[in-house]
Amino acid sequence: MNENFPAPPNPADGGPNPPELDAVANEAAPIKGPADCVESLLREPGRILFQLGQKDGPRLVATLLGIALGCSLIYGSIVGLFSRGEQIYYAPIKIAVGLPLSGLICLPSLYIFAALGGSKARLADVLGLLAGLLALSSIMLIGFAPVAWIFSESTQSLAMMGALHFGFWFIAVYFGLKFLHAGFRRTQMRASEGVSVWMVIFVIVALQMTTALRPILGTADTVLPTEKRFFLAHWAENLRINANYKAPAANAPATR
Amino acid sequence: MDPVSKPLDPRQLPLLLQGEASLIGEWIERREGARVLFQIVVIVLGAGLFGAAVGSWRDPMQSLFLAIKLPLILGLTAAGNGLLNGMLAPLLGLNISFRQSLLLVLMSFTISSAILAAFSPIVFFMLWNTPTTAISGSAFYIALLLNVAIIAFAGIAASVRLLALLQRLSGDRGIAMKVLFAWLAGNLFLGAQISWNLRPFIGSPEMEVQFMRDDAFAGTFYESIFRVLHGLITQI
Repeated sequence: MNENFPAPPNPADGGPNPPELDAVANEAAPIKGPADCVESLLREPGRILFQLGQKDGPRLVATLLGIALGCSLIYGSIVGLFSRGEQIYYAPIKIAVGLPLSGLICLPSLYIFAALGGSKARLADVLGLLAGLLALSSIMLIGFAPVAWIFSESTQSLAMMGALHFGFWFIAVYFGLKFLHAGFRRTQMRASEGVSVWMVIFVIVALQMTTALRPILGTADTVLPTEKRFFLAHWAENLRINANYKAPAANAPATR
Repeated sequence: MDPVSKPLDPRQLPLLLQGEASLIGEWIERREGARVLFQIVVIVLGAGLFGAAVGSWRDPMQSLFLAIKLPLILGLTAAGNGLLNGMLAPLLGLNISFRQSLLLVLMSFTISSAILAAFSPIVFFMLWNTPTTAISGSAFYIALLLNVAIIAFAGIAASVRLLALLQRLSGDRGIAMKVLFAWLAGNLFLGAQISWNLRPFIGSPEMEVQFMRDDAFAGTFYESIFRVLHGLITQI
């Protein structure tokens, strides 16, 4: 019996009925390999949540983190294609390092917020949920990769590409956070406000990480920044530079 | 019972247009390469015919280019968003495979293309009656609006059919609406950019006939919209 991630309550018992999680008949089926893990994250998140509490849970967490790392490297390569040059190598590394690092920084606070909400999850369980969040959002980014590549080849605007990547990341993280929330609902969490606050903190930390590891999309003289800066100030400066920069297409006549 | 058991039977087209959800639901369960091929042929011919009609106003060569480009836009959009659409469906509550999601999008594009093909004689006739020197005249804009209206109608009709099918597959209108909205948003977002890269479509008479502009990959559709809006605001 899985004590930390039991199956969702039966609607017939009068309990809540989360559509993403119920009606899953084979949650007890073990997850075999990364492909099965990806499939389960997308189609049967309840299976992942159940298996996280089993004896093979640590291996599943490692698989989830491996998926997050692999997918981040692939998406990072697409990000690096915008500036090309050395960024083709640096962008994937920075994204693959930055995302798990953001998660690691926020892991203790997630555990505390969950515990304050009444969750019975152990730190290892919380790590599993966080790994699921990172894996699912990274998988989603792979779905956006072809679109991002087309735009990378079409524009020279740093602001445009930055906004696009952040847009894709926000959508991807939204689904990841939904997974996290669904996971905590299984851990007898009474109040979810704390976890909701944590979600905002996680997003801010991840955004700041993009500034701390800059340049990721553009270029600079150094691999890592020599000056500390808040991410909003960094964006504002980039928007100012972009507004003063006239791309060749800006003067092209409108074509029908 | 499936009245159109042969995947290449052209009688499946009216069934698609009628939105026979139960029958179409059966089709997407099967692995039939020939049926996919049939749908691709309908898209190539249907969108191609409409493109040829629109391009005929400018030049016969533009007609040929557009007959290639319109099906290409649909194909590239379906391929570019295939992975994303396949991920979004189960995440939004509709548990279908990548193959099935791709087939559903392909079916909706097939319906759009069939509608576009049906309107192409009207478009051809309208543009044939519009002088090529009338680029700034009201007749040209009426013809242009007609094209936009037909494309919008084809898109809406296909979406309505797709919604019915998604509803049948999910058993929930809310989930079907969410999936449809997510797919439409993604396809419109990417489709607009691919269309921008593959411009010109009607083509200005003062510019040469080209398959793609020399600056095809300089800028995005959304930057151009931003520039137009910025220009309008600064003029006020």
